[in-house]
Amino acid sequence: MKSVKKIDLRVNIAGLELKNPVIAASGTFGYGTEYSGMAEPRDFGAVITKTITLAPRAGNQPPRICETASGMLNSIGLANVGFETFKDDKLPRLIGKDTVIIANIAGNTIEEYVELAGKLNKITDIPALELNISCPNVKQGGIAFGIDPASAAALTKAVRKVYKKTLIVKLSPNVSDIAAIAKAAEKAGADVLSLINTLYGMAVDSKKQRPVLGNITGGLSGPAIKPVALYNLYKTYHSVKIPLIGLGGIMNYTDAIEFMITGASAVQIGTANFVDPAAVKDIIIGMAGYCRDNNLNSVTKLTGILKC
Amino acid sequence: MKQYPLIAITSNARVSAKAYELSFKAPGLAKSADPGQFIHIRLSPGSSYPLLRRPFSINDIQGGRISVLYEVKGSGTELLSKMSTKDTLDIIGPLGKGFDIDPSRRHHLLVAGGMGIAPLGFLGRRLKSLKLKHQLLYGCRSSSEQIKPDIKMCSMSSDDGSCGKKGLVTSLLSDKLDGCQDPVVYACGPWPMLKAVARICQNKNIPCQVSLESFMACGVGACQGCVVRGSDGGYISVCDQGPVFDSRRIDWDQESVI
Repeated sequence: MKSVKKIDLRVNIAGLELKNPVIAASGTFGYGTEYSGMAEPRDFGAVITKTITLAPRAGNQPPRICETASGMLNSIGLANVGFETFKDDKLPRLIGKDTVIIANIAGNTIEEYVELAGKLNKITDIPALELNISCPNVKQGGIAFGIDPASAAALTKAVRKVYKKTLIVKLSPNVSDIAAIAKAAEKAGADVLSLINTLYGMAVDSKKQRPVLGNITGGLSGPAIKPVALYNLYKTYHSVKIPLIGLGGIMNYTDAIEFMITGASAVQIGTANFVDPAAVKDIIIGMAGYCRDNNLNSVTKLTGILKC
Repeated sequence: MKQYPLIAITSNARVSAKAYELSFKAPGLAKSADPGQFIHIRLSPGSSYPLLRRPFSINDIQGGRISVLYEVKGSGTELLSKMSTKDTLDIIGPLGKGFDIDPSRRHHLLVAGGMGIAPLGFLGRRLKSLKLKHQLLYGCRSSSEQIKPDIKMCSMSSDDGSCGKKGLVTSLLSDKLDGCQDPVVYACGPWPMLKAVARICQNKNIPCQVSLESFMACGVGACQGCVVRGSDGGYISVCDQGPVFDSRRIDWDQESVI
């Protein structure tokens, strides 16, 4: 058998060309420059910004994070600088850094999502948008649109009308049937789906007899949620035709491979960025090695090869 | 800041009834660190327990050797206390904004409560090398928990009176400030102590810098997980805008996050 020498790491997700399949997940890589000296935007195939809203948001009452068994809870509450400051101050620092910039957005109403999407449609340096319809930490908007197929469809359809580039919809695992939401988003015009966002969770301090988080509840991420993420990915992969980006507890290259063979066309790493900024580089090297060992000349050949 | 993935522990020993001192060699990190900055340690590289890094103020730098002080508070520090010279750590640093030293001030007063001695030890040595007049006011629970600082001590207090004056370090500060010209205060310790120090300094219109603690995930300002409420009502992240703040920037009426 002829052995593979050079592994092609490039992936094309619904027309979005990435130099490698590893993407920084929203909210875990800031606005792209915070890890300077340890992990750079250019290390990733794409960087997804922290969720941006029209107006700045202060976020939730602290404490906002808490470690749990093989995972962490967060209740940041979409703290962000708002669209105008993002565009004028944060975005220029990310442009020209040899990565694809994807903006993640959220709103309280469909109108807010549409207004933001319209503004982002005009920014040529951002070729794709990820709709956050799955944040568990805000009262209005966010997950409210992600737990019901009809609302997910209505929002996706409205954004699709004004947004002409690659539209990614980020799904929540906090639903009874993720495939129904996935199909609804696909039918409404989503180009790509990313899954999963965090799971609802809570931690309690027995000494103080109080919740640990200031917001009482939070979103669970990290290795603890990987089986849930793989299950939802498996279910969704067999329900829709559009490409999927897998995430949820990916810490190393074998985790990334598991998501790819279950059906992901690319992966996002989130909590791993907090724990090990070098993870992105190790994951890419490891994925290439895995392809070489399995005689695959491209990472795209991994997608969906799960035998079952 | 840089990530140093394979740092060997050179010592990890108990220095009081509750505190431990961890030392390791990291010349690159040592050269670039300033007093008040911290390091973010991953205790079990490759494992998901504990998952998140733990932040520690730098206590001392001698040549290329760095040391931090810690108390066993939870699962992370419990694990750390059992580690030995056979173990390696993954360390990120130096992180955060440290103390702002104004050489024009005549008296540099360091106020430490309990483990708050950690960043002030490093600051004291820096002030000494800059030949700036400095003194330490140190309060602890009891003599068994006293950590011997190698900086010039002015006075000491303990909760039970077993070492120094019985009472709080804040009363030592009030007394000291009355006889001080043109002082500046640097404080680190439990939230109620910092709150009292900030109030004393604000009433006397004396500049005061506090080093805060918080739970952190990224340590670099990306996640916004470690915030405290500022006096302007907005949230400020401890890891990158601090951990050292002008005491007037903090809303002292909030509950401590730790």
